[in-house]
Amino acid sequence: AAALCPCRAVLARRGGALRALCGSVRGLAAGPEAHFGFQNVTEAERREKIYQVFENVAKKYDVMNDSMTLGIHRVWKDILVHKMNPSPGTLLLDVAGGTGDIAFRFINYVRSIRERQLQRKLKHHQNLSWQEIFESYQADKSKSLGDSQVVVCDINKEMLKVGKQKAQHLGYSEGLSWVLGDAEELPFDDDKFDVYTIAFGIRNVTRIDLALQEAYRVLKPGGRFLCLEFSHVSNPLLSRLYDLYSFQVIPVLGEVIAGDWKSYQYLVESIRRFPPQEELKAMIEDAGFFKVDYQNLNSGIVAIHSGFKL
Amino acid sequence: MAAAGGLRRAGWRLWRGRAVLRCQLSPPQRALRTSAVLRRVSEEQKEPLASSSQQQFDSHPTDPRPEQEPQGPRPSYTGQGGQESEDYESEEQLQHRILTAALEFVPEHGWTAEAIAEGAKTLGLSVAAAGMFHSDGSELVLHFVSQCNTKLSELLEQEQKQVQLGEAEKKPTEQFLRDAVEARLRMLIPYIEKWPQALSILLLPHNIPASLNLLTSMIDDIWHYAGDQSTDFNWYTRRAVLTGVYNTTELVMMQDSSPDFEDTWRFLENRVADAVNMGNTANQVQSTGEAVVQGLMGAAVTIRNLAGLNQRR
Repeated sequence: AAALCPCRAVLARRGGALRALCGSVRGLAAGPEAHFGFQNVTEAERREKIYQVFENVAKKYDVMNDSMTLGIHRVWKDILVHKMNPSPGTLLLDVAGGTGDIAFRFINYVRSIRERQLQRKLKHHQNLSWQEIFESYQADKSKSLGDSQVVVCDINKEMLKVGKQKAQHLGYSEGLSWVLGDAEELPFDDDKFDVYTIAFGIRNVTRIDLALQEAYRVLKPGGRFLCLEFSHVSNPLLSRLYDLYSFQVIPVLGEVIAGDWKSYQYLVESIRRFPPQEELKAMIEDAGFFKVDYQNLNSGIVAIHSGFKL
Repeated sequence: MAAAGGLRRAGWRLWRGRAVLRCQLSPPQRALRTSAVLRRVSEEQKEPLASSSQQQFDSHPTDPRPEQEPQGPRPSYTGQGGQESEDYESEEQLQHRILTAALEFVPEHGWTAEAIAEGAKTLGLSVAAAGMFHSDGSELVLHFVSQCNTKLSELLEQEQKQVQLGEAEKKPTEQFLRDAVEARLRMLIPYIEKWPQALSILLLPHNIPASLNLLTSMIDDIWHYAGDQSTDFNWYTRRAVLTGVYNTTELVMMQDSSPDFEDTWRFLENRVADAVNMGNTANQVQSTGEAVVQGLMGAAVTIRNLAGLNQRR
């Protein structure tokens, strides 16, 4: 129990660790109680611990994701981007987006939509002269993304580093930027973004209400808030199997693959401590969002919450 | 600049606090802030100085909302927060506004989520607001159809008023039906190129209840204003016939390339004439049938007489 100090809490899923950097602003030194897995710690301690967790896990993050969810996390993230249905010209802020999964999917999606748009335009250009068609080609080629941009924001430098490397490796350069920042206090102006996503990150935020308020602030009017997170399974049989898998298999995998049992223990505990679907929906509504709704994936193992700033 | 921003935010929070108080009085309804956002934008245009919170409070209740259409009964929004909630619109109203704005982008983008996104942009909202709707554009089509039906009802009501006031002649049924269907179909003309797409959307299984509902209520309306008061089986046959006429004329209109759709209106004329004649024919058939039966009875009696079986001396 005491060995929790250099605790590598592994939030196998999403990064968004809490700030240890600009900790003083919310300056709650030894004050408020927070939870770290099934333990109770102070807020500052929690932030520190979570930061260290992700610092240590960063390199093995994606591998662990795949092995723990048997690759299903890719489908979840695909569903999230599909639900977002971004049109070219959308500005996305991906908070706690460390290794860039959502950002890359977003770019792919927008690219394919853009291509379809261009094809449709070409079909209409049947009776233009060759010169005009040539000119339209020139104009469109320069914007394969159609002005869409994604900003990946994460509190943890290591996660961002891994993300940047991945981007380089996969060849994503256009329309992508990486920013170091804290979800509870975003370094952006008001009314900036069309969509705000936080995938598997909000669980690691110490003050969820602050993060939601920040989300509300940086979104444009009409903007959308999307949150992908582990949630509560209502089906009792499935719940028992899930618990079995979570507490018996995942920490073992963590030890074998990443050499870190405690972090993955933290992960599964933190999932149990996170508010269930309805409660999170109420919190999102409190922050000022409208048309708040959630969609359960895999009968509650994961849920996507969506709200609009109206 | 920063000060203005800070003030605005402070005012924003204060105002939100106020809204929260309201919410506690009438829990289920929450006012939309877009209306406030839009209103603030118009305020800022009027007064380019930093809007202080005091200003916001004052101009709140008295600022007329230019976008607010005369909405009919809104029972759920005039709760205990009475005056406050009347100034704001509901989510549905905002959605209607977005869809109406999206209609002008339909000729370019079709009945899709893209058109809705463009519509949201013109209202000053982010393109992500299109996420409120189905991604296949269903709501846009249904909204348009319902709008057209409402316009048709208003048109027919006006005509009826004119007849009642004696300013116009009452049209014969055939003429009335023709004009009503023509007026309704003319509303499709600006969107005629993308209308086949709209029809296919209306036929999607999850849209069929809604689209069928709209269609039947429109036909009902037309017959009502045509003066139909039947209470027997005629009610059904009349509606079925008119639905058939309407649908077939719509399909003909899709493929019509004559100037001002003359061919379509001529087709419509013929179909309505057929429909009305069918009514007459039905009567004729009935009376002919009766006549034939009587003739047969007479022949049978005559034969009986001749055969001497009708002995009644």
